[in-house]
Amino acid sequence: MEILRNLWRRKLRTILTVSGIVMGIFALTTMGSLAEHFNVLLGGGITYYGGSIQVTDDKSNGGFGAGAMTLDTLKQVQQVDGVVAAGPAVGVAAKPGSVSTVSFGVPDYIMNFDPTTTAHSPFKISLARGVFPSAASRYEVTLGSTFASEFKKHVGDTIMLPIRPSDATADFVNHQFTVIGVLDQTLTAPDNGAYISLHDAQMLLGESLPAALRGTVDPYQLITSVVAYGRPGTNLDALATRITNQVPGVKATKPSDLVASFESGGAIFTFMTTAAALLALIIGGLSVVNTMIMSVSERTREIGLKKAIGAKTRNILSEFIAESTVMGLLGGVIGFLLGVLLTILLNSGDPSGGLFLITPRLTLIALIFAVALGAGAGVIPAMRAARMDPVTALRAQ
Amino acid sequence: MATIKTLGLNKTYGKGESVVKALDGIDLTIEQGEFVAIVGRSGSGKTTMLDCMGLLMRPTSGAVMVDGTDASTLNDRQRAELRSRHIGFIFQEFNLLPTLSAMENILLPLRYSGGNRKLARRRAEGFLEEVGLARRADHRPTQMSGGEQQRVAIARSLINEPTVVLGDEPMGEVDTETANALLGFMRRINAERGVSFVIVTHDLELAARTDRVIRLRDGRVISDECPSTHVTQRASTAVPQAAA
Repeated sequence: MEILRNLWRRKLRTILTVSGIVMGIFALTTMGSLAEHFNVLLGGGITYYGGSIQVTDDKSNGGFGAGAMTLDTLKQVQQVDGVVAAGPAVGVAAKPGSVSTVSFGVPDYIMNFDPTTTAHSPFKISLARGVFPSAASRYEVTLGSTFASEFKKHVGDTIMLPIRPSDATADFVNHQFTVIGVLDQTLTAPDNGAYISLHDAQMLLGESLPAALRGTVDPYQLITSVVAYGRPGTNLDALATRITNQVPGVKATKPSDLVASFESGGAIFTFMTTAAALLALIIGGLSVVNTMIMSVSERTREIGLKKAIGAKTRNILSEFIAESTVMGLLGGVIGFLLGVLLTILLNSGDPSGGLFLITPRLTLIALIFAVALGAGAGVIPAMRAARMDPVTALRAQ
Repeated sequence: MATIKTLGLNKTYGKGESVVKALDGIDLTIEQGEFVAIVGRSGSGKTTMLDCMGLLMRPTSGAVMVDGTDASTLNDRQRAELRSRHIGFIFQEFNLLPTLSAMENILLPLRYSGGNRKLARRRAEGFLEEVGLARRADHRPTQMSGGEQQRVAIARSLINEPTVVLGDEPMGEVDTETANALLGFMRRINAERGVSFVIVTHDLELAARTDRVIRLRDGRVISDECPSTHVTQRASTAVPQAAA
C-alpha cells in the first residue's frame, strides 16, 4: 500500500514512466505473439518434413510447386532399401488463380489423403468430427479447421471444389463435395487443407492441366510427388540420397535441408521479438531509472529518518527496488493486456484465424521481463538511496 | 547505569589548514532517567554531539557507550540495530512520512526492528490517547498542526521502548504554548517510564525546566549544572510569562 501511495505522490511522472514500460511490453507482446504463431507453424513443418522424405520430379525445385510424375515412380521409390512406406501425393490449389498476396502462413490447398502411409508420419493429425476419406471415397472431403471455418462448413454440408475464382476462365470446372469430417486445429499447415481421396485429387489435377495436355495423359496415373518414410533408425538424409541415386528422374530432398530452411525462417521472427524486447528495455528501463533517481533525491530526508530509526542499508535498498518493481509489473500487466486486446481484434478480422498467437509461455516471458526490468532499473537509484549518510540525508533541504 | 557515556569525543571536519574542531574532547555521562538540555550558540557543536550520541555519526576519535555497549567497535549494521532498540529520535521538522497515517508513522520503527506489532499497536494507541490524538490515528501529517505532528513524532520515538530519546530542537517549529505542552508530555514520559531525554535547544527558558543543562562552546563543555538548585527562582518567575 505504501508503495502505491509513494508512486501516487507524483501521479503524472509515475503515469509517464509506466506508459514507457506499457509501450515496450505492448510491442513485445504483439511481436512475440506473431513469433509464437510462426514457431508453431514452422514447428509443424519441422516435424512433418523432418520425419519424411519429399520425392519430386528432378526438374522441379524443392518440395513445393512440383512437376508431375507417374505412379511408376512411386513403385520404384517403394523398392529402395530402407523405405518402410511411400505414398503418392497429389495436390492442387484450393483457390486457383487467386492473387497471391504477401501472407503469413499457408494458402488453402486440396490434397489427397493417403490412409496407408499416414501412420508412419511423425506429425499426427486428428479429427474433431466425422471421418477421413477412404481410397474408395468419391466427392467426399475432410476439411482442416481453418478451411472449415473460413467457408463456414460443417460435417454434412456441401462445398464446391476448387473454389471458383471471380475471374474464372470459360473452361473452369469444379465439383460438389460433401464434408465428411473436420480436423482438429493444429495451428499449422493441415488447418488450411481439404483432404479428398487419391482418385478425386487426380481428377482435379487432370482438370487443372493446360488444355493442350489434357487429352494426352491419363490423370489417374499422375501424382505430384511421393512422400517416403524410412524404416525406424534409418538415417533419412542418407536414404534421400539413395532414392535420388537409384530412382531415375527424381530428386529426394534431404529432410535436414528442409528443416534448416524452416529454422532460418523462424530466426527472423525471433530476431524481431528480441528487438521489441530490447526496445522495451531501453525506453522503459531508462525512464524507470530516471524516475527513481528523482524520487530518491526528493525523499532524501525520508531516507535519513528511516536510517536514524534503525533502517539498515538493505531495508532502504529493498524499499526502493520494490517501488520500481511495482512500476514494472504495472506497466507489464497493462502493456500485455493491451497487446492481447490488439491481437484479438486483429485476429477476429481474419477469416483464416489470424496471425497472432498468445501462448502461456509468451505471457510468462512478458510479465517476468517487465518485473525484471522494473527491479533491474531500480537497483542503481536504490543503491544511491541506501548508501546515503544518515546525518547528511536528515539535514538535506 | 549510564544510558549514554562519551569518552574523549573528538570530531573534526575538513583537512589541513581549514580543519574545524566541532567536538573537542567531550566526556559526558547521561544517567538513566535524566532529562538533559544541551545549549550553546550555533556552531558550538551541540548538533554534532547529538549525532554522535545517537550513533548517526562516527566521531574522529573517542568512544560512545550506549547502555554499556561500546558503539565504536560495531559495524554500521550493528549500530543501526543498537540505535533502533535503545535510542529514539525527534527532530525540529518532525520528519513524519507524508504517505503514512499517524498510526503508521508511529509504528514505522517496528518495520526495521521487528518486534511484536500487536503489542506495539496497543502502545501506540495508548500514546495517541495520552496526547489527545486518539481520533487522529488515521490522519496524514498534512492534515495535522505542527504541535500534533510533533506529538506523533514523540510517540514514534517511544514505540520501541528506548532508554533514551534524543531531540534536535524539537520545539523549534512550534509556538510557546505548544512547546510547553510538548515539554510537559516529555517530562511525564520521563517521570513515568524512566526514559532519559537529551534535547538540544536555543530556548533557555525551556532548558531551565530540565534537570540538567550542559552548555557547549567551540566543541567543549563549559558548564554542566542543575537548574533546579540556583535557577529555580528565575524559572518560577518565568513560567507565567511563558504560559501567557
